Amino acid sequence: MKLISASLVELNKNPVEGFSAGLIDDNDIYRWEVLIIGPPETLYEGGFFKAQLLFPKEYPLRPPRMKFVTEIWHPNIERNGDVCISILHEPGDDKWGYEQASERWLPVHTVETILISVISMLADPNDESPANVDAAKEWRESYTDFKRKVARCVRKSQEECL
Amino acid sequence: MGNCLKGSAADDISLLRGSESAGDSVSDHLGLPPPYREAVPVYYPSPNISRPVNQLTEEEQVKIAKRMGLIQHLPTGSYDGCKKNRECVICMVEFLVGDNVRYLPCMHIYHVNCIDDWLMRSFTCPSCMEPVDAALLTSYEAS
Repeated sequence: MKLISASLVELNKNPVEGFSAGLIDDNDIYRWEVLIIGPPETLYEGGFFKAQLLFPKEYPLRPPRMKFVTEIWHPNIERNGDVCISILHEPGDDKWGYEQASERWLPVHTVETILISVISMLADPNDESPANVDAAKEWRESYTDFKRKVARCVRKSQEECL
Repeated sequence: MGNCLKGSAADDISLLRGSESAGDSVSDHLGLPPPYREAVPVYYPSPNISRPVNQLTEEEQVKIAKRMGLIQHLPTGSYDGCKKNRECVICMVEFLVGDNVRYLPCMHIYHVNCIDDWLMRSFTCPSCMEPVDAALLTSYEAS
């Protein structure tokens, strides 16, 4: 809990380019709202995407969940907004308990490293394990449609932010 | 947290006694049974599975017992002010001279409390992802 509030103080003192963070409810340190600025030179450029970071009581031993509130069309974001990237997944039960541990959640990750991964995911979708199969298919097979849908989300996000 | 655990351990004993004497005395003392049992320690047979100690399979109990044994083999010490490791990257708090720290075979150091909780879930160094058991075995073979 001390760690979570310290991270928020630190982020507000030394803001990281591309996002800002705050609490949804001032009395609940475990629920954050972040605003992600669509990374330049990507389809998401110009968008303002709101998302929630929901921390478990065991943070940082367990990862937070991240959920976009603003509508967003992306192969690795479920239609309900849930972000699906490997660093937010706990290491699974494989034979040794550490296979691919490097890609999964580690207690040394911070809100900053999570959001940097999310921003890089926006720039560079991973279509090997899509969370939104339709978006992944469109991204691969009919990129023009994909671009149009993303552009609509960007526009909508700007309107919502005004 | 520690205090809570101690307090509820006493409760467990009274519950045991109660069950011997048909349970009447228990309800007299405690009223309704507690809605949840925070008292039972929870273990992580794998990082994404948590289970109260009384629901572990035999295999999981063995795995956890081995893990606990191995963790106890990792050296501990008190932080000596070494400039190379300034903070515990799990809790992100700077080490203070005298803090109880644990050394992993890869020479990364953490607060004992911080790293032990993690190692009980995943037996890897969170900084370099080196599997701790493999490193332990190599160090045994070498010596």
